[in-house]
Amino acid sequence: MLTIALSAPLILAAMGGFTSERGGVINIALEGMMLTAACVDALAAPKFGPVGGLLIAIVAATSMSLLHWLVTQVYRIDHVISGMAINAVAAGGTNFLFLKFGDEARKGNLPSLPSWFFYTIAFVAPVLLLFYARQTKGGLRLLAVGSDPDKARLMGVQPIRVRFFGLLATGVFTGIAGVELVAYTGVFTDNMTAGRGYIALAALILGGWRAVPALLACLAFGFFSAIQVQLQGTAILGVHVPTELWAALPYLVTIIALAGFLGKNRTPAGLGRH
Amino acid sequence: MIWRVIALVTGALAILAGALLVAHESPIVAVQTLIHGSLGSPAAIAGTLRETTPLLIAGLAVFIALRAGLFNIGVEGQLIMGAVACTFVALRIPNALGMILGLIVGMIAGALWALPAGLIKAYRNGHEVITTIMLNNVALYLTSALVSGPMKDKTSQDTATPTVDAATRMPWVYNHPPVQANCALILGVVVAIGLALWLKKTVAGYELQAVGANPTAAKFAGISTQRVTLMAMLVSGAIGGLAGAVQVLAYEGRFYSGFSPGYGFDALGVALLAGTNAFAVLPASLLFGILSKGGTALQVDGVPKGITTVVLGFLILIAAVIRYRKVNTVA
Repeated sequence: MLTIALSAPLILAAMGGFTSERGGVINIALEGMMLTAACVDALAAPKFGPVGGLLIAIVAATSMSLLHWLVTQVYRIDHVISGMAINAVAAGGTNFLFLKFGDEARKGNLPSLPSWFFYTIAFVAPVLLLFYARQTKGGLRLLAVGSDPDKARLMGVQPIRVRFFGLLATGVFTGIAGVELVAYTGVFTDNMTAGRGYIALAALILGGWRAVPALLACLAFGFFSAIQVQLQGTAILGVHVPTELWAALPYLVTIIALAGFLGKNRTPAGLGRH
Repeated sequence: MIWRVIALVTGALAILAGALLVAHESPIVAVQTLIHGSLGSPAAIAGTLRETTPLLIAGLAVFIALRAGLFNIGVEGQLIMGAVACTFVALRIPNALGMILGLIVGMIAGALWALPAGLIKAYRNGHEVITTIMLNNVALYLTSALVSGPMKDKTSQDTATPTVDAATRMPWVYNHPPVQANCALILGVVVAIGLALWLKKTVAGYELQAVGANPTAAKFAGISTQRVTLMAMLVSGAIGGLAGAVQVLAYEGRFYSGFSPGYGFDALGVALLAGTNAFAVLPASLLFGILSKGGTALQVDGVPKGITTVVLGFLILIAAVIRYRKVNTVA
């Protein structure tokens, strides 16, 4: 159960990464979008209830996501620069907002939706996305734009428009992911995503940019976090394993995967191209 | 083009002023506090210069990779690996030799930490941004395990190493507290001059920029892009490691958990603002140093420090829109 609780935000964020990266938009800003949603939910939920908090948080994450769309697609700046900048704005902005307006939220016990709500979305979304990407016109267009934006353009598909909807979905998914974090812990803390956006990205890469394998990678990473939480430095077979090792494991595995030692390279060909 | 830039600048300023107003803070007072806290007194200026040093050296690390067309987001990880390796050496050789060896070992550690990213980029075509993000996190956990385990100061409650002997520290150029200036800053300027000369006067520097400008053309001109990519990454990592080593030997005196408050990420902003000229990294890092020191003054004044990070984020976006717009391929 702990595994599922720890995996759910990763899965949701990874699906956000899926709709963005399969459309060819590099998205290292998943972290910042999740953080924004978490903070906004913590601020809005005491006033507008759990559903209102969720919706406002989704709007907040989506506006960050569409800012990414605006600067990368309309102004055509490098996706990585934009992602870094959005993460900085999110980290600083949530720090600022929460210290200024978080008095009520700091009392704790924030109203939140039941956890099954988030788990259902987390496990249904990858299957739906798989179906969407393979079987529908919109999904195939997303993949087309992600593998070769120039050819897509020649076929009459506007990458800028397809990516708009891709990033819209990214905002929704990362928004739910951020709210889930607050719902699970009941509080917001400064920089509470603590790298989960990057782990979700790692899982997406490990899953070869495919929805269901990414889900499995998230579950694996969640499982390792659960081990980390439960062992808390107890010895395994007499050997004292530092908890940091478990925490570093997802990143190490991803580096090995990127080096091409785990299956073939499935990077979308149009990633980062215009 | 121009109107877009103007639109973005005004937009960013409006957002900031709006945020401050909503929070019942006067934007004008906030700016005054920020400038007074960073430049208003000799002590404030000394603090700003101290903040500037790691940003300058780390900024140069990002800069040199950027000239080769690489985003070294891993400077953060290379910096803390350099710092930890340098502390390890400096604790064992408590004299001036230890200082020099510490700096060198810090550079080697930084370069080694950049090596996987360089290799994967050059020979497997794996995106350096992703690998360096992953390496940053591994470095974070590795060093955290080191300072809470084998390298921990047993006599202290902190998760930190023991303090480096005074004889191993980098000397002050001017030391009449509160006004202090460390020769680390001069070292940073020397590195900037060295990089500028290297880029301008040597074949390797020329090749590096050729690959950065157009890898396909560079390849047809007979340049081994793989070798250049790897070299750029190693040089960048070494300078990143140097930034960490300098931070230990000049200012901190030890390595501890949470050593870098994100110098490597701020360095990316520094390098993006600086653009194509190594010397432009100097004013860019100074600007970031002012914002960082002034942000602390704002914090004391009741305005959360995060607001300066928001300013930095928008600065990066604006600089990128002005400088790094990709060429329109299809209208």
